[in-house]
Amino acid sequence: MILKPSPQDLKNIGYYLGKIILGLGLMMFIPVIFGIALGEINPALDFLIGLEITLIFGLVLSKLCFTEEDLSWMQGMIVVSLSWLAATLLGAIPLYLSGHWSSYLDTCFDAMSGFATTGLTLVQDLDHLSLTHNLWRHLIMFIGGQGIVIVALSFFVKGASGAFKMYVGEARDERILPNVVHTSRFIWLVSITYLILGTLALGTIGVFEGMKPLNAFFHGACVFMAAFDTGGFAPQSQNILYYHSLPFEAVTIVIMLLGAINFKLHYHIWMGNRKEILKNIETRALFVAIMATFLVVALGLNQKGVYAGAIALFRKGFYQLVSGHTGTGFMTIYAQQFISDWNHLALVGVIIAMGLGGAVCSTTGAIKMLRIGTVFKALLEDIKRIILPDKAIVVKKMHHIKDIFLEDKQARAALLITLAYLCLYGLGALIGMWFGYPFLESLFESTSAAGNVGLSCGITAVTMPAALKLTYIFQMWAGRLEFMSVFTLIGFLVSVFRGR
Amino acid sequence: MRLKDPVNITLGIAVEILYAFGIISAAFLVCLLIAWQI
Repeated sequence: MILKPSPQDLKNIGYYLGKIILGLGLMMFIPVIFGIALGEINPALDFLIGLEITLIFGLVLSKLCFTEEDLSWMQGMIVVSLSWLAATLLGAIPLYLSGHWSSYLDTCFDAMSGFATTGLTLVQDLDHLSLTHNLWRHLIMFIGGQGIVIVALSFFVKGASGAFKMYVGEARDERILPNVVHTSRFIWLVSITYLILGTLALGTIGVFEGMKPLNAFFHGACVFMAAFDTGGFAPQSQNILYYHSLPFEAVTIVIMLLGAINFKLHYHIWMGNRKEILKNIETRALFVAIMATFLVVALGLNQKGVYAGAIALFRKGFYQLVSGHTGTGFMTIYAQQFISDWNHLALVGVIIAMGLGGAVCSTTGAIKMLRIGTVFKALLEDIKRIILPDKAIVVKKMHHIKDIFLEDKQARAALLITLAYLCLYGLGALIGMWFGYPFLESLFESTSAAGNVGLSCGITAVTMPAALKLTYIFQMWAGRLEFMSVFTLIGFLVSVFRGR
Repeated sequence: MRLKDPVNITLGIAVEILYAFGIISAAFLVCLLIAWQI
């Protein structure tokens, strides 16, 4: 029997949702101040309007639904899934007011793409978008990469056990420190430290490449936020191709790979356990997966003979591959070149890489390396069981911060999420084909959306059907939250109508 | 050993960047092998 939600359930959900929306509203002060400082008054006003609506919405919710009760698991999951939808709808307002998006749906597409760190975009005339709006596009990636809930946890929610439930609901199942608020602050410490280093490195390269210093460091900060949070937006419509710089590309590759590392691993390495990077199953699996998928891409590109020489193969082939594997979506080629210049073998290599993703508890999307490693180890264990005599005891260990004995329930959990992702990739591809796009292109774009990657082969465009835009928005949302929060919200909605 | 030890953080960052460069070097080697068809 399904139970109808009680008024207290709704109150708890509304109160915590209001707090998270308030956190988002406070983040909008950054572009307001930035806009005023640069003399971009109209863009600053767009953000002031967005900020007011967001704060009013958050304040009304948190006052109307005020409660001192802690969240249950179900409520925590629902707060998370609703907060991502609310952030998309509210975060899109200032972007829509800029006039660079043809509809509010297109703006919501970009806002979800930003928060979910995907990178697919429907913006028009990006090269003339104000710096203030451009900053917000990249800032939402920074917020979404760390987690919208993480922002609220860092400032508003003090040590309540409900905090942990929201933290888990946001696809961060690893607690780095015993206190989840300290965990979220550590995530900010890593991100801000790398933000300073990355912006300095990219800004300096920009200056040496001939950009004006202010412009170079603005681009550096924006590109860093998109690279470390494996987002993929860039300040210019040509994406990373705009810079035409090998050092810029090399540094962004390093930043993308750093973004694909588990925050728990960052913690242990920063604590002095530096050998962990060589022993950890995720870093090992990531290395092997990148090399294996790149070999497929490189062989495909070599067959086609489109990039002559090692440097061209590295800058065009490996760059798109690592961008896809880490879920970033930066591109050094035009979207249509995937279809015109690349053969099917190379495209399949990138699709596999996009489907695999980086580490769990990182800013990447897709299936992720810990699950791939777990499934691979479980498969090895089963093969050994068949080969060895019946009396032999097969024990399989893996190393993730500490030695872990592989149990059936871990393998089952990893397989279920893997299966859910594969279904999501397939679902988007089917819908794409229903709208008349070829199979491989549909699968490419669908995997890119569901894996929160952002590479595009040209399907994502203002002219694509609205239903396909909604499909990709759903895929980005479900993929970023790793399904459980989304399934819980669907179950909750069913209980509202069918519960007793 | 504590988290805010700047030496550990600096060495930690260096190790992580080295890991990234390890991947880049290996990938470039693959590029060389494929491009020159060794």
